[in-house]
Amino acid sequence: MADRQIFDGQPVMEIEDGNARRNFLKYAAIFGVGSTLAVAGLGDRRIASSQGGGDLDILNYALTLEFLEADFYKQGVDAGILSGREAALVGPIAEHEAAHVSQLSSTITDLGGEPVKEPKFKYPAPTFKDKAAFLETASVFEELGVNAYHGQVTLIENVDILAAAASIAGVESRHAAVLADLIGGEPFPAPVEASKSMKQVLKAAMPFIKS
Amino acid sequence: MDRRTFIRGTAATIPATVALQMLGTRFAFAQSSDFADDVDVLNYALTLEFLEAEFYRQGNGKNLLSGKEAQYLETVGADEDAHVAAITDTINKIGGTPVEAPGVDFADSFDSREKFLTTSHVFENLGVSAYLGAAGFIKDKAILQAAAGIFGVEARHAAVVGNLLGLKPEGGVYMGANETPLTKDEVLAAAEPFLTGAGSMAGDAAVTK
Repeated sequence: MADRQIFDGQPVMEIEDGNARRNFLKYAAIFGVGSTLAVAGLGDRRIASSQGGGDLDILNYALTLEFLEADFYKQGVDAGILSGREAALVGPIAEHEAAHVSQLSSTITDLGGEPVKEPKFKYPAPTFKDKAAFLETASVFEELGVNAYHGQVTLIENVDILAAAASIAGVESRHAAVLADLIGGEPFPAPVEASKSMKQVLKAAMPFIKS
Repeated sequence: MDRRTFIRGTAATIPATVALQMLGTRFAFAQSSDFADDVDVLNYALTLEFLEAEFYRQGNGKNLLSGKEAQYLETVGADEDAHVAAITDTINKIGGTPVEAPGVDFADSFDSREKFLTTSHVFENLGVSAYLGAAGFIKDKAILQAAAGIFGVEARHAAVVGNLLGLKPEGGVYMGANETPLTKDEVLAAAEPFLTGAGSMAGDAAVTK
């Protein structure tokens, strides 16, 4: 699952805003994902010392992934490549991801933090032309999202933020199962869902983040 | 296993009152009096998993399903068995005593494919909400991680069974952009019709140490 390549390994996300870019990419620096990206953060003591930077950092990390999902599904739905039950099942997913973006943004703001700005996205031409490829990519995304949320479960300090994050994670699990069913995959790959650290998620996500 | 107090009891960087105000009651966990300790939470989860596991053991034996549906529900049943085993094992490891399986009565749930899947859908969604409602009480990180992983699988079951039933996507397959937590009392009230005898959840799980 984790090794499935999406977007032909091409970068699709560009984080232009300086602060937002650094906020997100500092994880790459901290965890040493991608040599080019890592260099940007190496000389910055402040970044280095913010390792495990608390709930706001985790929320911004989640927000960045949700931005990508929301944009991806919006374009997929707008492309009109789905019909019937498939369209009916994917439509709400797009709405959920948009809702997650807005929930996470306002949560970060209300807690006195600064939400990352929405990155720019550019996908390889075939991404939204072919139904099977789109659903396959969606399936990879959802499994990654599920693993990403689980990877933060034990790091979130505030119990109410944990509750909010978990309430989102469960929905990603539903998406993952439905998409697996649609592509003839395995909706229940294991009795207990796996977790991925930020490092592992970013390693998987890096190919589609334009540096 | 790491027994350090976590989540509750640690000094959070964000004041709980601020977070609560912001998140609203929708995300609030159950009352703090609901669970005494991790064993208490685990026995609560174990009783629900016993209920589910026995439900699929009986239902899958009735030949109500075929093809992909039958295959899916076999896997769901196997997942619930795995949850029972994992939770029992965890309770033993941390020095607790696992509750015994409750007496169950699924009434007419196996009269037809529709009834089997409909009751399954109810149980799975109940499980999702029960885990979410109890998560905040878990102090051990490793246990919390495992509970989150089980919670997600229950959500997968709920969505796929809802889809097998051909339910409307929103409000049938999905339950909104966020899962909804339920308190222990709410979960017990929903599960009670299926529980019989002295081994029922209200009598056991809540008081076992």
